Amino acid sequence: MLRDLIFVSLLVVIILALTYLTYSGGLGDLPPQDIRFIAKNYLNLTYNQEISWLWAASPEAVTAIVWDYRGLDTLFETVVFYGAILAALTLFRSISKVPELVSSAGLSLVVKRITAIVTLAILTVAASTALHGHLTPGGGFQGGAIASVAPLLLLVVFGKQFFIDRKITYNKLLSIRNISLALLGFTSVALLVLGFLIGVESYIFQNQAKTISTLSYPTHLLDVPLGGSLFFFNLFEFLAVAGGFTLVFTILLSKDETLRRELEGEELGY
Amino acid sequence: MKNLDIELIKFMFMLTVISLYFNVAISLYGVVAKANLVKKLIALTIFQDTVNMFTILVGYKLWRPGLLLQPPVLTDLSPTPETLREFVERSVDPLPQAFVLTAIVIGLAVTLFLTTIVVHVSYHFKTVNVDEIGRSKRVYIHEEAV
Repeated sequence: MLRDLIFVSLLVVIILALTYLTYSGGLGDLPPQDIRFIAKNYLNLTYNQEISWLWAASPEAVTAIVWDYRGLDTLFETVVFYGAILAALTLFRSISKVPELVSSAGLSLVVKRITAIVTLAILTVAASTALHGHLTPGGGFQGGAIASVAPLLLLVVFGKQFFIDRKITYNKLLSIRNISLALLGFTSVALLVLGFLIGVESYIFQNQAKTISTLSYPTHLLDVPLGGSLFFFNLFEFLAVAGGFTLVFTILLSKDETLRRELEGEELGY
Repeated sequence: MKNLDIELIKFMFMLTVISLYFNVAISLYGVVAKANLVKKLIALTIFQDTVNMFTILVGYKLWRPGLLLQPPVLTDLSPTPETLREFVERSVDPLPQAFVLTAIVIGLAVTLFLTTIVVHVSYHFKTVNVDEIGRSKRVYIHEEAV
C-alpha cells in the first residue's frame, strides 16, 4: 500500500514537472507555426514532376516516405514483425499438424448471412485501402490488418469447419505469407537485377530514375498514378500481413485442450 | 477575434498535451503496479498508443485564419508549381506520421509476442497473476531443497 502511494506521488511529480516544462516552452512553440524544413522538402518532392530525378511518383507523402525515402528501414521493420509472428507460431508449432481443430458448427443462420455480407464489405475496404495506399491515406499494412478481420469473423461465426471445407489450410496460409514476403524482397531489388542484366547502374530500393541511373518503375497505369514501386510494396505487404494475421488467429482460437497439449511433457511446467 | 481563436487553439493544444502526460502516467502505473499480466499488457498498449498520439501531435501545426490545414496527400494529380506551393503551405508534417506507422508495426509485433507468452504462462501456472506465480515458484524451490 505504501509502495503504491509512493509510486503514485512520484508519477504526479513527474506529470507536474513535464507540464511546467511544456508550459514554459521546453518543447518549443506548441503548436509550431510552420512545419520543419525537411518536411517541406519531402512534401515538395514527393509528386513534383519538374524534379523527376528526386520524386517518388506518389501523391501521398507518408507512403512515399515509408516505402521510398526510407524504404530499407521499413523492410527491416517488416522483418521484425514477421519475426514476432514466426515466434508466436513456433511456440505452438505442432498445432499445425493437428488436422482437425473443430467442434463448433457456428452461430445461427441470421448471423451467418449478415456476416457473409459484412465480410465482403470488409474485404473491399481492405483492398481499397491497400491498393490506393499511394493515392489516399492507407497502405499495405493497414489494408492487411483490416482484411485479417474478415477471417477472424468467419472463424467465430461459421466455425473452423468452414475453413476446412474450403481447404484453407495452415500450409496454404503460410505459403501466401512466404510468397508475398519473397515478392516484397524481390520488388526492392528488381531494378538492381535488371540493371546487372542490361549493364546499367541501379540501386537497391530504386523507384524512379536518378541522375546516374535511368531505370524506373512505371509511374502511371492507364492514366492513373501507380506510385512506381510503392503500389507493389503495398500489394505484397497487404497479402503478407493478411496471411500472417489469419495464421495467428487460427492458432490462438484453437480449442483449449489443443493448446494445452502443446505444453504437456514437462513435469512441472517451468 | 482572430487572436482569440488562436489563443483558444493554443490552450486546447496544451490541454491535449497535458492529458497525454496523464495517460502516460496512468499506463505506467498499470504496467508497474498491477499484478495481472493481462492488465499489464493492456496498460502497455495504452502507453504505446499515447506515445504514438504524442508523436503525431508534434507534426501538427498552428491553425491560422485563412489557412486550411490538410493531411499530406496531394489531391491534384497534375500539379502546377502554384498547387505544389499551396500544398506545402497547408499540409501538416508527414514525417511523424511515417515514424508512427513504423512504431505501430513494431508495437504490434511486441504485443503479439507478449500475448503468446501470456497464453503460455496461463496454461503453465493456471494463473496470470505474477505474485501467485512467484509464490508457486518459491514453493517449488523450497520443496526441491527439502
